[in-house]
Amino acid sequence: MITGKLIVEQLVNGLVLGCMYASIASGLTLIWGTMKMLNFAHGEFYMIGGYFVFFALNLLGIPGVWCLVISVAIVLVLGMLLEKSIIEPLLGKPGWELSPLVVTVGASIAIQNGALKLWGEHIKNLPYYIEGTVELMGVRLAYQRLMILFVTAFVMLGFWVYTKKSRFGLGLRAVAQDRDAATLMGIDFKRVYTVTFGISCAMAALAAALLSPIFSISPWMGHAALTKGFIAVVLGGLGSFEGAILAGVLLGSVESLAVIFLSSEWKDVVSFSIFIIMLTLKPAGLFGSKEW
Amino acid sequence: MPKAFELPFSRLDSYHGFYAFSAFLLAFPVLSQDPYILNIFIISLIFSILAVSWNFICGYTGIFTFGHQAFFGLGAYVSALLSMKLNVSPWFGLVIGGLASGTISFLIGLPCLRLKAAPYIAIMTLAFSEILRITCMNMVNLTRGEMGLWGIPNFPEVSLGPYTINFGGADRVPYYYLILIVFIVLMICLSAVLKSPIGLAFKSIRDSQEAAESIGINVTRYKLLAFVASAFFAGVVGSFYAHYILILTPTSLFNLGIMVEIMAMTLMGGLGTFLGPVLVAFGLTVGLEYLRFLGDYRFITYGILLVLIVIFMPQGLGKKIFKDRELAT
Repeated sequence: MITGKLIVEQLVNGLVLGCMYASIASGLTLIWGTMKMLNFAHGEFYMIGGYFVFFALNLLGIPGVWCLVISVAIVLVLGMLLEKSIIEPLLGKPGWELSPLVVTVGASIAIQNGALKLWGEHIKNLPYYIEGTVELMGVRLAYQRLMILFVTAFVMLGFWVYTKKSRFGLGLRAVAQDRDAATLMGIDFKRVYTVTFGISCAMAALAAALLSPIFSISPWMGHAALTKGFIAVVLGGLGSFEGAILAGVLLGSVESLAVIFLSSEWKDVVSFSIFIIMLTLKPAGLFGSKEW
Repeated sequence: MPKAFELPFSRLDSYHGFYAFSAFLLAFPVLSQDPYILNIFIISLIFSILAVSWNFICGYTGIFTFGHQAFFGLGAYVSALLSMKLNVSPWFGLVIGGLASGTISFLIGLPCLRLKAAPYIAIMTLAFSEILRITCMNMVNLTRGEMGLWGIPNFPEVSLGPYTINFGGADRVPYYYLILIVFIVLMICLSAVLKSPIGLAFKSIRDSQEAAESIGINVTRYKLLAFVASAFFAGVVGSFYAHYILILTPTSLFNLGIMVEIMAMTLMGGLGTFLGPVLVAFGLTVGLEYLRFLGDYRFITYGILLVLIVIFMPQGLGKKIFKDRELAT
């Protein structure tokens, strides 16, 4: 039966899911905006982020929140290492439209199957960071879900302010606008690329770390996340940071509300249909990128 | 940048290479009818067809798609289900599987191929493959989901004059010749297209969409045509696969790992070369069969291989060994 309560509950679930899509999509769009490449290994950093929280929690036995910080930091470094080792050699060579896509796809499959061999196919579960629920207007909300909403909003806002105000953010925007001109102004674009890539991967790891207690951890979790992230990026407009966040949250909410009417297995089909309709009607996305 | 290596002999003509190689493949069962070896050759031919048809869309037309395994899987499921539920002969299934893939590729290509930017088609095909996987996993009544669709009929026997060709037994030779015929037809079609003005149109789109448009080429129409044609062949070979392997699961068919294998073969053979991807498809499939310890890590090996190829050998082997005889390239 469809009641107001059910709709509100699903809307909260949708917002939580949307936060995950938004953090993944914002990382992807950040890389597209700066480096003009799609990172198909992004989902794998999401997966690794989840696993590292699991291992930190079980091997080190420290509080959950610190595990989250450790996992995000490790993924930040891993992301920068990957960029240094396989993306940087391709810079300045012909075929930039294709080559980074192909290497990241290769890396993605290698990492995913490596994780499968290394950590097994058993699905892992994490405990909630914060137990307990709160009752708001007759709707029961878990603290865990509220925490996801707040942390994601805080990080996204923080990063947005950082790119607008800080010196590195200025450099990042300059490189995104015109790489050659930025180089003439003395900006080391290779460094900007490496750090941007790392930050983008760390955002994916953060999403995974926050959400793993709700969804579970498996070697394949990155693939679905990547697909949804890309759909959100296109909906928001390629390269638009604000658009990716808005589209991510929207996509999550629509999917969750669709579950009221359809069985939950079909929610991916819903988002794919939205994607096709959007491409047909308004390929520039909600925030109108000029890329098409 | 590593130094380009030079071969001690002048480059071979790729069409002569193709004639020689197909003659060898046609004559091979005379030398050996060992089912094990023929099975490896059949798998190599399946991957050759996938690599060549993907090379057509990516290497010759310049559209980077990720969904080739999806069209392969779609053809397999369509043909298998039609033959099981509606008793359609697998011989028709071979064509219907291809047509189904071609039709669907037209529908998903239409919204994103009219856009010029490369990411849209890459994202679209990636998402499409994921959707097909989820659909096949969820429609358990029809596809049996992850339990696997089995009980797929073989190709029925055909009578050619006094001879009857039976596909039922353990004999691999009929299957081998069937896929070999598909392969040779594909290669002949490809060479005919490449020699014709249409082939030039495809290549001009690859080199610059704006320039192609300015000389009066309908870019969207040609891109769609290339996309549909390559999906058609992927569907045909998928249908063959269904009636050869006789069991289908969504995760084994709609796996991005298969796409990585196709890409590694094509790029190592050389994007936009006629024979390179075929020889590499054979070399890698046979090679991994011998290196059993790598076979367990098949997808990891192909993933790493793909990264190394792009960084150290972006041109591939094909252009170094063969020269393609086409209209002015």
